[in-house]
Amino acid sequence: MNDRRVVIADDDPDIRGLIRISCRKAGLTVVAETADGDDALAAILRERPELAILDVSMPGMSGLQVCRHLREDDSLAEVRILLLSAAVDEHSIRAGLEAGANDYLAKPFSPRQLAVSLAEQWATLP
Amino acid sequence: MIGLFRRLFGLLSVDHPSPSLKQSPTVVALAVSLLLIVSVPDLNVTNPVRLFVGIGMILAATAIAAYMTRHPELERWVVLVPVIDVFAVGAFRVGTGGSTSIFTGMMILPLLWIAAEKSRWHIALAAISSSMALLLPYAFGTLVLHSAGELIRGFYSPLVFAFMAAVVNELARQARVQLGAVKALAEERAETLSRTMEYAAQLEEGEARLRAADRMFRGLWSAVTEQAVIGTDETGLIDAWNPGATKMLGISRREAEGRRYVFDFHVAQELEDRARELNYPPGATVLNPGFSALVESARLGSAESREWDYVREDGTILPVSLSVTARTDEEGEIIGYLFVAHDVTKEREVARLKDEFVGLISHELRTPLSSILGYLELLRDEDDNPLSPEQLQYLGVAERNAHRLLRLVGDLLFTAQVESGKFPLDLTEVPLAGIVTAAIESAGPTAAAAGVSLVDELPEGPVVVIGDPVRLGQSCDNLISNALKFTPRGGSVSVSLTATPTEALITVRDTGLGIAASELDQLFSRFFRATTATRNAVPGVGLGLTITKAIVTAHQGRMEVESEEGVGTCFTIRLPLAPVGAGALR
Repeated sequence: MNDRRVVIADDDPDIRGLIRISCRKAGLTVVAETADGDDALAAILRERPELAILDVSMPGMSGLQVCRHLREDDSLAEVRILLLSAAVDEHSIRAGLEAGANDYLAKPFSPRQLAVSLAEQWATLP
Repeated sequence: MIGLFRRLFGLLSVDHPSPSLKQSPTVVALAVSLLLIVSVPDLNVTNPVRLFVGIGMILAATAIAAYMTRHPELERWVVLVPVIDVFAVGAFRVGTGGSTSIFTGMMILPLLWIAAEKSRWHIALAAISSSMALLLPYAFGTLVLHSAGELIRGFYSPLVFAFMAAVVNELARQARVQLGAVKALAEERAETLSRTMEYAAQLEEGEARLRAADRMFRGLWSAVTEQAVIGTDETGLIDAWNPGATKMLGISRREAEGRRYVFDFHVAQELEDRARELNYPPGATVLNPGFSALVESARLGSAESREWDYVREDGTILPVSLSVTARTDEEGEIIGYLFVAHDVTKEREVARLKDEFVGLISHELRTPLSSILGYLELLRDEDDNPLSPEQLQYLGVAERNAHRLLRLVGDLLFTAQVESGKFPLDLTEVPLAGIVTAAIESAGPTAAAAGVSLVDELPEGPVVVIGDPVRLGQSCDNLISNALKFTPRGGSVSVSLTATPTEALITVRDTGLGIAASELDQLFSRFFRATTATRNAVPGVGLGLTITKAIVTAHQGRMEVESEEGVGTCFTIRLPLAPVGAGALR
């Protein structure tokens, strides 16, 4: 399971901590943590992880913008993207999915459920 | 002027002279005659008795005339005076030589008087009286007929007198007619004059009022410097431009009036969009379609206020709230329009800041709450060093309060969305029984902890409305959680779902504290808290009912409330039922 690598981007270090712990519980390896969108894009291009967990509102590029950039690059089509946001209305969720995210997670989230859902997803994937 | 004219005219008037005045020529003639008799030796007094009778009669007539002058009501008898005079002169004539008397001519004076009186029978009276005055002395034998000539004179002279009387009478009549006409004219003129003066006074007063109104209007017009007031004709050509318009749009009155059209100051695209909104077919209006769109409501008779962008002379854009009204003439025909605009830059900025603030709250409060709740959960899930039961209880309190804070943030955000009109509803067919059951189930633990029994009454058949299940669930949750908060231990809360042919009714009835009748009106206002809530320290911020009502209203529903202090409260949500076979929405 060690080959499942994750990049985390959120401007709040405590939230990054929660995500890191959830990933660890799900058996994933966090290869990079960034606090803004530009660094996140650079880290993803460098690390080419299996999963990117991106906050929508970050300094620099927003999570949505990073998402669109990634989806323009066919070589990164395999990267799963999970968007994280405090905005929970239909419109924001739709915008996230349209930008190319595989999933959309509303804050506040339960780290327990996040860990379970990440583990389940990875178990079903080839 | 008129008074003087009248007085002069009165003196000349045939009608006016008093009997005394008319009598005066006869008196004067008598005096002259007596003077002649005394001073001329040839004039013989043949019969002194008759002479004195004549003098006496004239004096008597003069006295009567004087009396009648004092008593105008006796005017109809006034002709008696000259008649007496005629007979007096007759007697005087007899006394001074009869047919040879030189004083017979004196008879003309009273005869003239008689003849000048109004009606024509006075002519006859003159003739008869003079004839009798001349002939009577013969009948009484006072005079003896010496020749046929004397007898003829007794008839002939009166005949001449009668002709004279007729002429005088006619002249007097004509004079009277003319006088009457002149008098009527004078009166008419006087009346016209006074009426004219009255009109002049009224005109002057009206003019003064108009001038005052004009000053008032000009004052007002110039005082409005923060609003642009623009008047146009029915084609949009500007014909009025106030100082506010100059200040707002950057061109002077002189440059605007009669030279520019009001739509020159609008964004063409906005006008076209509005025309499209109003479904104007292309070329349907004779006028500029943008202008027609601008004045559409005003033209149809209702004043309209709407936000537009004004383009200033320097090309910059200014958001305004613009009221458009029609100007009409006396017949009510539209002759133009009035545009009153005020700058809403600040309002828009405030709205933007509010949206930003709401976004900030949402983000900045949710993020730390996410950390709090997340790490509390990690603490609870700690497997290596499990918490003691006591620690778990403390943790529960912290979690519960963090959730409470989270709900409050959600409510605030939702209220702000409702206010700014951004209130998304995800419509679908909603079987209400499921919603009510879920709400009762989730409130179960709270009810149990509070010692309040929670009862439901559900119908057998399905009750379906078109709505947003999440929002409808939120409404039920709010009402039930309110009812539980306000019901003391041992009370009950019953939730029922019923249906009329057109409406679904969700009723939440409690046996709680109740609400004062005077507060029922404000119940749905934001942040309002009933005194029963504050007095009994029931927690809350006063958003639940505001949100519930907003949700119900957005579903075309209504909310009703009945309450009695100390007895309980009953809230009812009425929602229109889904039309049968509304499956298309799914």
